[in-house]
Amino acid sequence: MPVVSKHSERLRKFKNKGKDTAALRRQRVEVNIELRKAKKDEQILKRRSISFSLMDESLSLGEEKRNEIIQLSLEEIVEAVNGSNTELQLQATQATRRMLSRQKDPPINQILELGIIPRLVEFLTRADNAPLQFEAAWALTNIASGTSDHTKAVVEGGAIPAFISLLSSQHMHISEQSVWALGNIAGDGPLYRDALINCNVIPPLLALVSPVTPVGFLRNITWTLSNLCRNKNPYPPLDAVKKVLPVLVCLMEHEDKDIISDSCWAVSYLTDGSNDRIQIVVDIGILPRLVELMASPELIIMTPALRAIGNVVTGTDEQTQAAIDAGVLAVLPCLLRHAKPTVQKEAAWTLSNIAAGPCQQIQQLITSGLLPPLVELLDKGDFKAQKEAVWAVANFTTGGTVEQVVELVQSGVLKPLLNLLLAKDSKTILVILDTISNLFLAAEKLRETERLCLLVEELGGLEKIEALQTHDNNMVYRAALSIIEKYFSGEENPDLQPGTGQGGLYDFSVEKQDFNF
Amino acid sequence: MELSDANLQTLTEYLKKTLDPDPAIRRPAEKFLESVEGSQNYPLLLLTLLEKSQENVIKVCASVTFKNYIKRNWRIVEDEPNKICESDRIAIKANIVPLMLSSPEQIQKQLSDAISIIGREDFPQKWPDLLTEMVNRFQSGDFHVINGVLRTAHSLFKRYRHEFKSNELWTEIKLVLDAFALPLTNLFKATIELCSTHANDASALKVLFSSLILIAKLFYSLNFQDLPEFFEDNMETWMTNFHSLLTLDNKLLQTDDEEEAGLLELLKSQICDNAALYAQKYDEEFQPYLPRFVTAIWNLLVTTGQEVKYDLLVSNAIQFLASVCERPHYKHLFEDQNTLTSICEKVIVPNMEFRAADEEAFEDNSEEYIRRDLEGSDIDTRRRAACDLVRGLCKFFEGPVTGIFSGYVNSMLQEYAKNPSVNWKHKDAAIYLVTSLASKAQTQKHGITQANELVNLTEFFVNHIQPDLKSASVNEFPVLKADGIKYIMIFRNQVPKEQLLVSIPLLISHLQAESIVVHTYAAHALERLFTMRGTNNTTLITAAEMAPFVEVLLTNLFKALTLPGSSENEYIMKAIMRSFSLLQESIIPYIPSVITQLTQKLLAVSKNPSKPHFNHYMFESICLSIRITCKANPDAVGSFEEALFMVFTEILQNDVQEFIPYVFQVMSLLLEMHKNEIPSSYMALFPHLLQPVLWERTGNIPPLVRLLQAYLERGANTIASAAADKIPGLLGVFQKLIASKANDHQGFYLLNSIIEHMPPESVDQYRKQIFILLFQRLQNSKTTKFIKSFLVFINLYCIKYGALALQEIFDSIQPKMFGMVLEKIIIPEIQKVSGQVEKKICAVGITKILTECPPMMDTEYTKLWTPLLQALIGLFELPEDDTIPDEEHFIDIEDTPGYQTAFSQLAFAGKKEHDPVGQMVNNPRIHLAQSLHKLSTACPGRVPSMLSTSLNAEALQYLQGYLQAASVTLL
Repeated sequence: MPVVSKHSERLRKFKNKGKDTAALRRQRVEVNIELRKAKKDEQILKRRSISFSLMDESLSLGEEKRNEIIQLSLEEIVEAVNGSNTELQLQATQATRRMLSRQKDPPINQILELGIIPRLVEFLTRADNAPLQFEAAWALTNIASGTSDHTKAVVEGGAIPAFISLLSSQHMHISEQSVWALGNIAGDGPLYRDALINCNVIPPLLALVSPVTPVGFLRNITWTLSNLCRNKNPYPPLDAVKKVLPVLVCLMEHEDKDIISDSCWAVSYLTDGSNDRIQIVVDIGILPRLVELMASPELIIMTPALRAIGNVVTGTDEQTQAAIDAGVLAVLPCLLRHAKPTVQKEAAWTLSNIAAGPCQQIQQLITSGLLPPLVELLDKGDFKAQKEAVWAVANFTTGGTVEQVVELVQSGVLKPLLNLLLAKDSKTILVILDTISNLFLAAEKLRETERLCLLVEELGGLEKIEALQTHDNNMVYRAALSIIEKYFSGEENPDLQPGTGQGGLYDFSVEKQDFNF
Repeated sequence: MELSDANLQTLTEYLKKTLDPDPAIRRPAEKFLESVEGSQNYPLLLLTLLEKSQENVIKVCASVTFKNYIKRNWRIVEDEPNKICESDRIAIKANIVPLMLSSPEQIQKQLSDAISIIGREDFPQKWPDLLTEMVNRFQSGDFHVINGVLRTAHSLFKRYRHEFKSNELWTEIKLVLDAFALPLTNLFKATIELCSTHANDASALKVLFSSLILIAKLFYSLNFQDLPEFFEDNMETWMTNFHSLLTLDNKLLQTDDEEEAGLLELLKSQICDNAALYAQKYDEEFQPYLPRFVTAIWNLLVTTGQEVKYDLLVSNAIQFLASVCERPHYKHLFEDQNTLTSICEKVIVPNMEFRAADEEAFEDNSEEYIRRDLEGSDIDTRRRAACDLVRGLCKFFEGPVTGIFSGYVNSMLQEYAKNPSVNWKHKDAAIYLVTSLASKAQTQKHGITQANELVNLTEFFVNHIQPDLKSASVNEFPVLKADGIKYIMIFRNQVPKEQLLVSIPLLISHLQAESIVVHTYAAHALERLFTMRGTNNTTLITAAEMAPFVEVLLTNLFKALTLPGSSENEYIMKAIMRSFSLLQESIIPYIPSVITQLTQKLLAVSKNPSKPHFNHYMFESICLSIRITCKANPDAVGSFEEALFMVFTEILQNDVQEFIPYVFQVMSLLLEMHKNEIPSSYMALFPHLLQPVLWERTGNIPPLVRLLQAYLERGANTIASAAADKIPGLLGVFQKLIASKANDHQGFYLLNSIIEHMPPESVDQYRKQIFILLFQRLQNSKTTKFIKSFLVFINLYCIKYGALALQEIFDSIQPKMFGMVLEKIIIPEIQKVSGQVEKKICAVGITKILTECPPMMDTEYTKLWTPLLQALIGLFELPEDDTIPDEEHFIDIEDTPGYQTAFSQLAFAGKKEHDPVGQMVNNPRIHLAQSLHKLSTACPGRVPSMLSTSLNAEALQYLQGYLQAASVTLL
């Protein structure tokens, strides 16, 4: 599911400056509505197993006898599955599995309509017939990898307890297939995720993790664990999280990049929530490793690690400080300059939340040399990243001391910031106008208002602000107007208002009353 | 109202009457329609009429009436009755779309507007089938119908371009995309197909291109908030077609009109906007298409003519290139030397040429020309766009671009030299090119502040600008003169001072040029040069350097005001003001003639004041004349009064509202120049100044308060003796001002002056009332601003009348009042007082309360003594408390309150800062120490014991510091 950061309405008056810095932090919240294509760099929710498809489909490869392909019609499949001949059951289940493993357009709906799911689930319990168990598990895995309705059919067929008990199967390939199937079910959403957790999926799953577990198997387990940590509304139960987290910490130390990636994704889900959830992750001491992974050259590792840290700094000042202490500020410059726009954006979002902190944290941000890459990003970044960078600057000017704001201006922020007044996004424009007001407040304290006025004009900002006085968005237009009136309304402008009044002089008189202040 | 023929007939009659030119017939008909519009079926009757009436005027009239009716009534406002009954609403929504689509264009537009008003309220929830209904019409094949749908859709969707992202908005957009995006795409493709099948049918093409324009606009709206999945998947279709439309030309669509943009231009211009939107917001996805668009847009520019009708297209297209060429990852598209040369030669240079339309504006519409050229309201012009492109290219290619243009500049200058009278436009373009190439940053106040170092500005100035200005005739080649003067103006910070000094006499002589632009620019350039700063914060150009030119400068400036078209030229008037301010006492010999000319001007413009800036500078110039002259010769004030009072009287008598506040300020300035008792001429005016009618105008309040303060400073005794009956009126003004949250600080300015200057016995009988009034405000609607002013006032009172008098008057109003004010107001709020003089007044006043008020030592007030001292030390040492309670954020605070009148609209009529305790107390901390010492000698032991029991340690430490500095000890 696509995830974006939402810019909560910031109607706070800047006169309340410093009163509520927590409100500046912008959480990553799922927006119900998304116009964009689903993001390409999200972790996959459900996966179908198509590993043997090539072999299955090409008869010419001269495969072994026992893998010989038997073509069955759908009618034959139904008959065989529902029949009592074990050999035919296996053939039919295998044929089903094979159709579902086809690279293109697997006929999930057609299989579903056959009504054989309960029967396939039943096959899972046939401890005496491992090949049948395996084929059924695979077929069900691939059905569960489809739409929500497909997953639902598998769950309603009673697959959850069956798969959970197969986790402890003697046969590793059956156990592994079950892990996969459970991953698909968990990935459907919070409802089935919690159904699994309530059926106590976690202990047997964690028991599979050991130093001797083959890498491929461990990848599947990690992925399924990540799906068990995923999704909100509601979040996964806290005690489940607490059980999984120590194992994730170990998995993050593995050398396989897929395992690291999926365990980072899991942590990123766990941090994507309220501060008490973030606290659990902070407490387990994983932040230094996450920061280390943020610097990984592997995109699939860096992306979820960055997300996780990005989520942590939406938390309290102390939690943000923990991320800073773990060294996040040293890694960010590189990510702000990353070639991929989505990375730039995510890094800038992270920075914006650090900039929303108290001035001590803002100072660390300055000392760590974050201003030059921020200004660069504002100037040349992708638009999505520029928007986040604007927020970073806005937060900085709200919470920073006058000296810090001066340093920001000296680092050249003004020119790219003013250029972005041409952005085709009303919210960004408004945030910039608010930021400009903040800069003027700082300038007033330094008695440098006039210099700032000149600077803004010189950089072409004045004419842009003037042009915004005709903007169609009311709040934008009013913000622009108020800056012009306050700081640029010229040296003189006689303002006369007519009024009416008759009679003699004013009468000076007053009635006494009791006072109590 | 029933839907009957009779009612239709009646309605027809009334509608007809609303078109009658005679108001006696028209008004009652309008009234009637308004009175029946609440009835059920009224809107349906209108719809019936606009569909079925036999007369076209009635149809149109009914449609306009209907739209206005919808505009006024459709929205359901909370807590107000629903103005349209539900069944009418349903019927309107069911019928309006087909009706709109089947109506002739004139009526279609009205109904389309009505639909979008309804849509704004009801769409999508309460009008779910609107979209389907519209989309279904795309199949009709009838482009009259289709354009109706598109137009309506455009007015419904265009708000997506400016609203903030929200779940509600995005839900709507998603719904629209699901229903609309695919049909729109199919319609787009079909329409383009039709354009090629009808390529030879002019009237069909016109309709089809109108559709394409609307489709392109809809594309912009639907893609504005974010890149929708559908459009990302179909980018190929849209962009390929947009691209080919950009390159399309068809003779049949070309218009003869030179001014008005044709359909082809409008479409291409919108496509440029669409491409710019994608380039800015969806760069990652759009990258594969961008180079093609750059090439197409550039070719478009190369082939587009100079006519005004192409202006919007050309400036949009150039702005697109300007925004792309600044991006690092598109740098390569421009970096080839041939590409750069070609852009410079074919895109930039042609669009910098001075066109016939510019020439026309220069001569016949100078004011507009100056505004565009000087004040930068040229955002959409070709020249401006070309200029932006130069700057954009210079970001990465400053060297090559400068090189290419240097060649052009030289060849254009050579062309000019061959035959100036024919080729002067070449030189104009050369100057413009140099200017845009050289200027990297600019402000009104300082001109160019950052210049391209590769351009030798001084050399160009000496070789090519000065010769034009030195030519014998100031009227020859006016455009080039204006260019040259503008060059001096904007590069004044780059050109060395000696060159500026050489230019000054040239500028002065160009004040005589007949061309309005030329003499205006000359005045403006002089004014700007006179405001340049040199070392030590003085002016760069000194009065001594100007000495040889004073007479000719003043003569030419005033003469320029007599040139046709410049009688109220604000640039000239501002130059006059600035010259006075620079030249100071060297203007004195010319004052008699100057003041005569200024008063004549004042008299003339007061008949019909229309140029606020001109008027303002005129009054500033008058103030300057007065100040400069009277500084050297105080007695001269009389001659100014003689010259000005006649005009002032006329202004006051004719109630010229624009000028009255200025008159008051000039009078304040004149009155303050008097060293002795107030002249009787002023006293005669005094009662008139208290007239309520004057005080009802907010613009009068600050200058009138200022003027009354001047009266009180100079004439308090005269008022007390000769106009005692006017004192209640004066206090009435105070009462009026104090009642207003916006003006209460002005009331305090007045009250402070009364207390400071009026003989005590003259206000004795009113004192209690004054305090009661203030307490009432404090009780009923106190604001931070009020409290700050109140604190300053009571402390000033304490200084003037003594602390005991303050305590007594408070307690006579209500027992224990003094203690309550100390405890609830003074101690907790004193930290909020701002301003040096204000703080000093409070410090001295509180010191008096602490040390000269016996009840503070021996009544129940004693417990407040130490807290008050602590608050006073806080006032000295702690930072100002500038917090304002939440609910006060929304009150307009125009002026910061304080003791002085902050108002100084006329800079040169400004009031000097006044410190009423200046002579009495120099250092308030030392004064506190000395006063405490005095108190402690009067009652030994008391003071140290009060300090040691409850003053906090930090405060005590500060206090010891004061005592040490004053070399006193407490007994």
